Amino acid sequence: MVAKFHIELKALKEDVLKMGELAKDMLQKSVESLISQDMELADRVLSKKNEIMDMDDSIEQRALTLLTLYQPMAKDMRTIACILKMITYLARVGRYGKDISVIAKELSTQPHIAKLVNIPYMNKMVTDMIDDALIAFQTEDISSLQTLQERDDSLDALRWSVFRECVTHMMEDSKNITRCAHYIMIARYLERCGDHACKMAEKIHYMVTGERIEIK
Amino acid sequence: MPRSDCIIETVGLNLWYGENHAIIDVHMKIMRNKVTALIGPSGCGKSTLIRCFNRMNDIIDNCRIEGKVFFDGEDIYSSNTDVVAVRKKIGMVFQKPNPFPKSIYENVAYGPRVQGINRKQKLDQIVEKSLKAAVLWDEVKDRLDRTAMSLSGGQQQRLCIARALAIEPEVILMDEPCSAVDPIATAKIEDLIDDLKRRYTIIIVTHNMQQAARVSDYTGYLYLGRLIEFGETRQIFENPQEDLTRKYITGRFG
Repeated sequence: MVAKFHIELKALKEDVLKMGELAKDMLQKSVESLISQDMELADRVLSKKNEIMDMDDSIEQRALTLLTLYQPMAKDMRTIACILKMITYLARVGRYGKDISVIAKELSTQPHIAKLVNIPYMNKMVTDMIDDALIAFQTEDISSLQTLQERDDSLDALRWSVFRECVTHMMEDSKNITRCAHYIMIARYLERCGDHACKMAEKIHYMVTGERIEIK
Repeated sequence: MPRSDCIIETVGLNLWYGENHAIIDVHMKIMRNKVTALIGPSGCGKSTLIRCFNRMNDIIDNCRIEGKVFFDGEDIYSSNTDVVAVRKKIGMVFQKPNPFPKSIYENVAYGPRVQGINRKQKLDQIVEKSLKAAVLWDEVKDRLDRTAMSLSGGQQQRLCIARALAIEPEVILMDEPCSAVDPIATAKIEDLIDDLKRRYTIIIVTHNMQQAARVSDYTGYLYLGRLIEFGETRQIFENPQEDLTRKYITGRFG
């Protein structure tokens, strides 16, 4: 029975990784669809929203079943605790991808106001952070997580940079207000996804070492 | 002088059954009014270890003990120790309920009687108090004269706990007290342990790790006669430091 538990736990970890890839992909593609005004791509992201929610439900259900049936201890228990938190963060990341795709579609009829250099840069940063968290979850090598706090600070700085840039455009011409409000929201979503990557890193650190840390 | 938080301490404890070195250099401290659980695979020495605490191993042929076991600062293996007095202070409950083939009342009154208490009123008091403490009173108060054998397994086990409590021990050793009873009785005994620790120090041997995690404050993991790891229960089950403990509690053992 214990062998069965470990097989099931391994399968669960693999599914968390799949969910992680999906969430990251949704976020990444949503920003790409925004920048390139590619409606087809935005629709493809939107079509994934049920898939990620289903994964969230099914992984949670299976994790709870494992807890109930086997009452795991030590690292096995920490792994399940980590999984239960991670899927919530990943579901949120996927949902932000969906939200950005909805905005991308709305903004597709008119050209972008400025070059929007910061938003794709934020996209790259945050997806790299999520990637590193997922790799650490898979390999249990937490060394790449050490830089997350610093990277999250940069992400915050970029978010305020987008904010200031947008406020300037809004003041220049009130017609820009709607679009710029959307840009501000997107920057805010990306910054929030960075926070989720940090929270995941905290849980992964706990899973691997048993120690709780805080990444601010 | 204030009493120390540590009630039992073993120092370099070794035990042999003939050639078999069953307990190897165990140093551990049992804290007063806490529940300490001993876990480990079958044959690792858990039961042997707790039997050292009230000198139950004395009755086993070719059993040899070295090292010290201090109870309230006094070495219970010193030559001038009164073994009966030690066993009075350190009671024991076994794996299989073993009531005497007597009435429920007599089972509990037996110990006090042996100690010379004969007044009916006093014995009635002790029986009621002990059965209440073992949370059995309400179930048996109307049939105290019935044979203890008529009780269910779980009730018999609680009767054995009441019998242990009747002589007012300070420490109760429990050797897998729930392994022969059903889940409902197990839950009752676990609740009882939680309740008893306010007045007694409890040392419990269990094969059920979830039970150890639920009832104990401290946990020791034994393997092949050695105390591999000892610490606060939460730490042992959440983040054990020793690889052997980790493997055992996550079922990756052997």
